[in-house]
Amino acid sequence: MKCCYKSSSSILSTNHHHHHHPLFYKQQISSLPPLPSSFPSTLSYPTRTRFTSTRIQARLIHDDPVKESSQDLTFYDLLGVTDSVTLPEIKQAYKQLARKYHPDVSPPDRVEEYTDRFIRVQEAYETLSDPRRRVLYDRDLSMGFSFSFSGRRRNRYDEEVVEEKSEWKAKWQSQLSGLRRRSNQKDDNSMSWAARMRRQRQDSSS
Amino acid sequence: MAEQAYTVASDSENTGEEKSSSSPSLPEIAVGIDIGTSQCSIAVWNGSQVHILRNTRNQKLIKSFVTFKDEVPAGGVSNQLAHEQEMLTGAAVFNMKRLIGRVDTDPVVHASKNLPFLVQTLDIGVRPFIAALVNNAWRSTTPEEVLAIFLVELRLMAEAQLKRPVRNVVLTVPVSFSRFQLTRIERACAMAGLHVLRLMPEPTAVALLYAQQQQMTTHDNMGSGSERLALIFNLGAGYCDVAVTATAGGVSQIKALAGSPTGGEDILQNTMRHIAPPGAEASGLLRVATQDAIHRLSDQDNVQIEVDLGNGNKISKVLDRVEFEDVNQKVFEECERLVVQCLRDAKVEVGDIDDVIMVGGCSYIPKVRNILKNVCKKDEIYKGVNPLEAAVRGAALEGAVTSGIHDPFGSLDLLTIQATPLAVGIRANGNRFIPVIPRNTMVPARKDLFFTTVQDNQKEALIIIYEGEGETVEENHLLGYFKIVGIPPAPKGVPAINVCMDIDASNALRVFAAVLMPGSSSPVVPVIEVRMPTVDDGHGWCAQALNVKYGSTLDLITLQRKM
Repeated sequence: MKCCYKSSSSILSTNHHHHHHPLFYKQQISSLPPLPSSFPSTLSYPTRTRFTSTRIQARLIHDDPVKESSQDLTFYDLLGVTDSVTLPEIKQAYKQLARKYHPDVSPPDRVEEYTDRFIRVQEAYETLSDPRRRVLYDRDLSMGFSFSFSGRRRNRYDEEVVEEKSEWKAKWQSQLSGLRRRSNQKDDNSMSWAARMRRQRQDSSS
Repeated sequence: MAEQAYTVASDSENTGEEKSSSSPSLPEIAVGIDIGTSQCSIAVWNGSQVHILRNTRNQKLIKSFVTFKDEVPAGGVSNQLAHEQEMLTGAAVFNMKRLIGRVDTDPVVHASKNLPFLVQTLDIGVRPFIAALVNNAWRSTTPEEVLAIFLVELRLMAEAQLKRPVRNVVLTVPVSFSRFQLTRIERACAMAGLHVLRLMPEPTAVALLYAQQQQMTTHDNMGSGSERLALIFNLGAGYCDVAVTATAGGVSQIKALAGSPTGGEDILQNTMRHIAPPGAEASGLLRVATQDAIHRLSDQDNVQIEVDLGNGNKISKVLDRVEFEDVNQKVFEECERLVVQCLRDAKVEVGDIDDVIMVGGCSYIPKVRNILKNVCKKDEIYKGVNPLEAAVRGAALEGAVTSGIHDPFGSLDLLTIQATPLAVGIRANGNRFIPVIPRNTMVPARKDLFFTTVQDNQKEALIIIYEGEGETVEENHLLGYFKIVGIPPAPKGVPAINVCMDIDASNALRVFAAVLMPGSSSPVVPVIEVRMPTVDDGHGWCAQALNVKYGSTLDLITLQRKM
């Protein structure tokens, strides 16, 4: 029942706070002394048990030794691979772990624990299966930041900044915007009803 | 209908059911149901393979409609129609999947207003008034009720054949359904006494069937670890759905989903408008004739259409394929857009796609097949699945897997890793939609963001939860809202409001909010946990009402990076 979700101690800094880079974090402590360290280092919400009406009360747990230890694992550790692993091996390791930890197939009495584990495995997979993000992660590792899952850090490697640069996106984007332009002229199906309503109102008032 | 064993429960607020992410204690195998806009099917794992049930007329595909002409409404499972037109007299309600969970300002509802039964809108953001013509009087109903009546019949049919009670189900749903619409499906199931184990986006059910086929044919079992990428395209009567799945060793990992309420119904209506003389009433006969013509155009270059509209009004026309494709250009462009968007979101190269799978009644349309072949640069469409049965087979497999059934031959060593079809987030930074869990995030998922106050000494904050892809909140679906109270007095920008969202394996969404202050080691007020969605019918009003009442006084902005 204990939690899994660690959030940041450095909530000050970022928009998506978990983009937060440990390096920035250190710099910020000096520039903005009192705040970051005074926030709790671990914010815990209830785990994903079945939601029942009797379990409304949310709880906060500050110490969770079991989870703390797995937080020391690197993404490579989480996937059970070495840092020289190839992409097909990463995919294979991920799918093998999914078959063990995914809540659909895990033993009923361990669903919560396994789900938390599965989410961490996914974070590791998302980073390591993307060559660009893996390079960034490897660089951090080599600089001595050996960490894996943490709410704060997990999006460090999946920033849009990384994504926007990739060529596939640019390629698809141009094709897509062409299609959108065409269909927007006549077809409103892809918009939400609210957007369509606004447009309808605009059209009827003009 | 003398011995109606089950009646539909009242349309009360609660679905009364809790989805379970673990297997139930009873080893009951959940059945899979594909509720289509025009046809439904039901299947179950029989111990060695998926078995599709047939109705008394030996049909695997059962027309989705309910007629209200007698004392007891009767659906397409039990009901015998002498003619197709009988469904179009106004006494039958159909297309409920297009109507369910939509408000009367929705264009999809408006497009349904020329159906033979009554769809009345007041255009104010409440549920439309739907009624069937019974003895020259309009008898009101709801899409949930119609669906529930139909589901009860399906359930009775399945119980008679399986000789056991049927309670747990896995249903397929369109990708583009909002969470609010999903609750309406769940409510219909609850009214029919069914317990929803999973609501699967349709192409992901097909993906699971594909994963099983791959596993069986390659006997791979993680051996080589070779991963196959498939694009799955579903075009039914009501919806278009696309998924990209990466499959290996029986695990289907959904990499991206895309969908919209575009389908055969749009094609039918466009074509009817094209065929009918200006001002002609949309008649049942015309509808049937047009449907038939569209089917024949899949194999022929042109078709002769003859309809007697009565009053001396006759239609005699040759419709050729080019004309047909021209009339429906918008629909086909939308299909193409969804495929391209899905490929982009999946971050895959076209050349890496191993198989293109097409399912749904409209996947037979040559133009649609050509679009898929062109975009995916494939000469062939995957032949291993029946386009009309793949979804229900996949749902039945998922039913067996989530029921904890094991197969000695490994046929059920399967797993679907789902992805979120729409982003979920909150309103912040003025009118912006800030996603907390982005679209196409693998499920289960838990992510959080920090926000802060916009006013000095702001004591309360409104957390307004939306789902969708638009940048501003108006473009998205409102899911619910709650207020955080007791924020300690502080200058704006100082309190940190953590908003965390959690989606479990059964797709239940919970939102947590905590208030943190500098100097305190834990949240200063109790954390709030809310299961979404909380909105009900007429939710179109809520966001506007909140805005009128509170303006921006309870707003939040994202905590900015301070460099």
